[in-house]
Amino acid sequence: MTAPLLSIRDLHTSFYTESGVARAVDGVSFDIGAGETVGIVGESGCGKSVTALSILRLIQPPGRIEAGSRIEFEGKDLVTLGDEEIRDIRGNRISMIFQEPMSALNPVFTVGDQVAEVARVHAGMSRKDAWARAVEMLALTGIPDADTRARQYPHQLSGGMRQRVLIAMALMMTPALVIADEPTTALDVTIQAQILDLLLGLQKKIGTSILMITHDLGVIAETTSRVIVMYAGEIVEQADVDELFAKPHHPYTEGLMHSMPHIGHDQERLNVIPGTVPAPTDWPKGCRFRDRCPYSWDLCEQEHPPLYQVGVDHVSRCHLAIEPERRNHPHAPLVVEEGVAAA
Amino acid sequence: MLGQTQDFAPTSSPRPRESPLALGVRRILRGRSSRIALFVLGIIVLVGALAPLIAPYNPSAQPDIVALKDLPPSLAHPFGTDPYSRDVLSRVIYGARLSLMIGILATLVSLTLGVAYGAIAGYAGGLLDAFMMRVLDALLSIPRLLLLIGVLVAWPRLSIGALVLFLGFTGWFGLSRIVRGQVLALKHAEFVTAARALGASRRRILLRHLLPNLVSPIVVAATLGVAHVIVLEAGLSYLGIGVPQPQASWGNIIQDGADQVATLWWMSLFPGLLMVLTVMTLNVLGEALRDSYERRS
Amino acid sequence: MNDSQPLLSIRNLKKEFPIKKGVFARQVGAVKAVNDVSFDVARGETLGIVGESGCGKTTTGRAILRLIEPTSGEIRFEGRDVRSMGTSELRALRREMQIIFQDPVSSLNPRMTVGAIIREGLTIHKLAEGSAADARVRQLLQEVGLRPEYANRYPHEFSGGQRQRIGIARALSVEPKFIVCDEPVSALDVSVQAQVINLLGDLQRDRDLTYMFIAHDLSVVEHIADRVAVMYLGKIVELATGDDLYREPLMPYTQALLSAVPVADPHARKERIILQGDVPSPANPPSGCVFHPRCHHPAKDAACAKIVPPLEEKAPGHFVACIKQTPTVITWEEQKQAGGVHPPERYLPLAAVHA
Repeated sequence: MTAPLLSIRDLHTSFYTESGVARAVDGVSFDIGAGETVGIVGESGCGKSVTALSILRLIQPPGRIEAGSRIEFEGKDLVTLGDEEIRDIRGNRISMIFQEPMSALNPVFTVGDQVAEVARVHAGMSRKDAWARAVEMLALTGIPDADTRARQYPHQLSGGMRQRVLIAMALMMTPALVIADEPTTALDVTIQAQILDLLLGLQKKIGTSILMITHDLGVIAETTSRVIVMYAGEIVEQADVDELFAKPHHPYTEGLMHSMPHIGHDQERLNVIPGTVPAPTDWPKGCRFRDRCPYSWDLCEQEHPPLYQVGVDHVSRCHLAIEPERRNHPHAPLVVEEGVAAA
Repeated sequence: MLGQTQDFAPTSSPRPRESPLALGVRRILRGRSSRIALFVLGIIVLVGALAPLIAPYNPSAQPDIVALKDLPPSLAHPFGTDPYSRDVLSRVIYGARLSLMIGILATLVSLTLGVAYGAIAGYAGGLLDAFMMRVLDALLSIPRLLLLIGVLVAWPRLSIGALVLFLGFTGWFGLSRIVRGQVLALKHAEFVTAARALGASRRRILLRHLLPNLVSPIVVAATLGVAHVIVLEAGLSYLGIGVPQPQASWGNIIQDGADQVATLWWMSLFPGLLMVLTVMTLNVLGEALRDSYERRS
Repeated sequence: MNDSQPLLSIRNLKKEFPIKKGVFARQVGAVKAVNDVSFDVARGETLGIVGESGCGKTTTGRAILRLIEPTSGEIRFEGRDVRSMGTSELRALRREMQIIFQDPVSSLNPRMTVGAIIREGLTIHKLAEGSAADARVRQLLQEVGLRPEYANRYPHEFSGGQRQRIGIARALSVEPKFIVCDEPVSALDVSVQAQVINLLGDLQRDRDLTYMFIAHDLSVVEHIADRVAVMYLGKIVELATGDDLYREPLMPYTQALLSAVPVADPHARKERIILQGDVPSPANPPSGCVFHPRCHHPAKDAACAKIVPPLEEKAPGHFVACIKQTPTVITWEEQKQAGGVHPPERYLPLAAVHA
């Protein structure tokens, strides 16, 4: 088994705010292999974006990566790297695509300049060479008339085009890993299809690994080979994509899959996960999903579940792994949907 | 913002009301400089309010214009006496009362005018707004101090009430612009559309939806406005066209000692110090308020 | 269930926004946000309106309520002409036609308590006062699944999903018959979406409501809508029952739209229809059929760029705006005269069909 490209061990990222310490990422460990596409799925507040930002040390105060966290990449620990060295890696060996292309682009520079700058900073290319390569990359991302478009400003481009610009920027230095943080959430669905298609095509061509962060299980199913499900700052399930969709283990994963309307599947009422996510300043003892879970029992309150092995390359943070028969006896969750009589 | 808003449950136990106002106040009080400023300002206001009870002497009394005049600070007269043998400390205390009162009242006048003008222009929009703004531009181009001096020189012997009004009438231009800007932005806020969808009249929208959301910039402007008026009034009184004698205001006191600034140093120092202190604390609070409301929006 | 007369009837609705340039703000063009839209909504049904950004669905919803004044067209609610109503008539109409907004943050006045927000409708229309109004507010809070004690709290104390419920309670306070739901769940997490969608369904049943449900998420619309209209650049390009639309999308745009939706099933073999290019700007729509530059219909030709396709019935209750999908009233002769080279043919790519 070849060594993984990126190896995260025990990542803790916390935010020290007026209302308390928010442990946004509370002990996350996983690997990304070369050429792999790994997805992190979860809803807002689960810590997926903070995890991504932590990899590139983009966390600003009052947030900070706690001591004891380790992120190994190409033989170095990204957490303890010096400022200059981490800047060397950003955009060069590991790059990131953000959700909102308009705020990620500088409105007063042409897109060509911004893409070219990556090469000028990291490879010391001359203006001319960097520009040429930038136009090449923009064309590669499917922007028609790349030469003309490169001379335009971000506000002159559509959302889909801007996202392509960001992708071009991210791929300029043929990085080993691209982190895509909700890259298509802000885009129309037909454009989303184009962008996802593009990302996968480019990955095949260039061979980068992709860490795809999203809340959309559909995007996960279509683009990733391995999936990590996060909830309340932790990994609650991890498996190959086929396995996850066929045999979800953790009740949260299950609930998530059943609460999405599917085209072609007629449902009278959508399955609902009642209640809401607990506040990150106050993670409950024991299992963090306990209150909303239809299977929980007293062990879940007493013991915080570790990641149990529940299949080949399939782990789940749920005590059902040791008492699977409880799955046959679901009960009303402890938290009832606000105010409404139990449906 | 497309994307997911956080979905955390509020705590289920009953809590004190968390009105935006209460929150804002709490946030401001967290800063040490704000707390100190509030404390100092509070003392000054208290002194002014309780002037008749605290002042050791009658501020207008001239007990002995021969023996007791121009005395430097001593135990009997901690701030000394002035050329008319009046006790400076008492005058400064009454001065606090008068100057603060003028500041507050004049600012109230400015607030009323500024908010009304700005809200109407912003809400009406179109030609009326354009017209009102051009008028405002013209008014803004006149320096306030010169305008006041011009008016007050033409009408000497003005009552304090008239002074307050003039100060108020000249101080609303900037605020109205800020208010108009806010109203323009708020006009398109979705909760305003929601109110229209419910059938709310324009009047109702203005009063119940727009105005309450203008509180923050208004409070900031008010705080800084009072500071500004205090300085203006002091300057005008110093020039002799502000508060008429024998009433005590800080500017007046400085004016009394103006001929002999070097020898009668206590007549400039103490009122000047008080003024600086008041204006500084008001500015600190005003800035803190502005920071707090800007951070939120 | 349905009266013979539709609850809401829209004919040839148009909304244009002028584009002004220059010092004197001369009008140089117009953004045709809503460009000749017609449809009916039957009592008790949910009409879904889907489309991507710039298609005009939100503007349509607001124009119907006259929150944005339409440029032209006819709006009839229970047979009454909405556009000609004066101020007081319109205010009375607001009791019957309401709206729920997309953004849970900006749609609630941050300086009003939840109770005041919900009570406002009662006050404006003099439906209840004092303690009667308070009781009504508490009732409404419970109806949308929130605790009655929340009436004293402020919006910022609540999550996105709860704020949407407050917005729903506000709309319900005046006892409307018809509610425009303007992307009510787009800004919410998936699991919260499900809660709110279920709530809307329950309320419709309990109160006999009629919905116009605007969304860009096709799966959500399919779940909740009886009939669906697909909009593109200000026009309705397809209108059919949910089943028909999703099983047999006849408009090429709908076909592409459906095939673009990511399916949560790694084994779903999808032959994707990837549209080329961007959604054009409504300020400068293409001539003829607004979709033709990106269309994948095998019979697409020059006629598509010249002829504006009428929205016509191609199957019972299934309306499509495409001159190349048979049957069509635009004769082959007419098409040839406009430069057509391919005769119309019924085309339904496998990729678009959901079993």
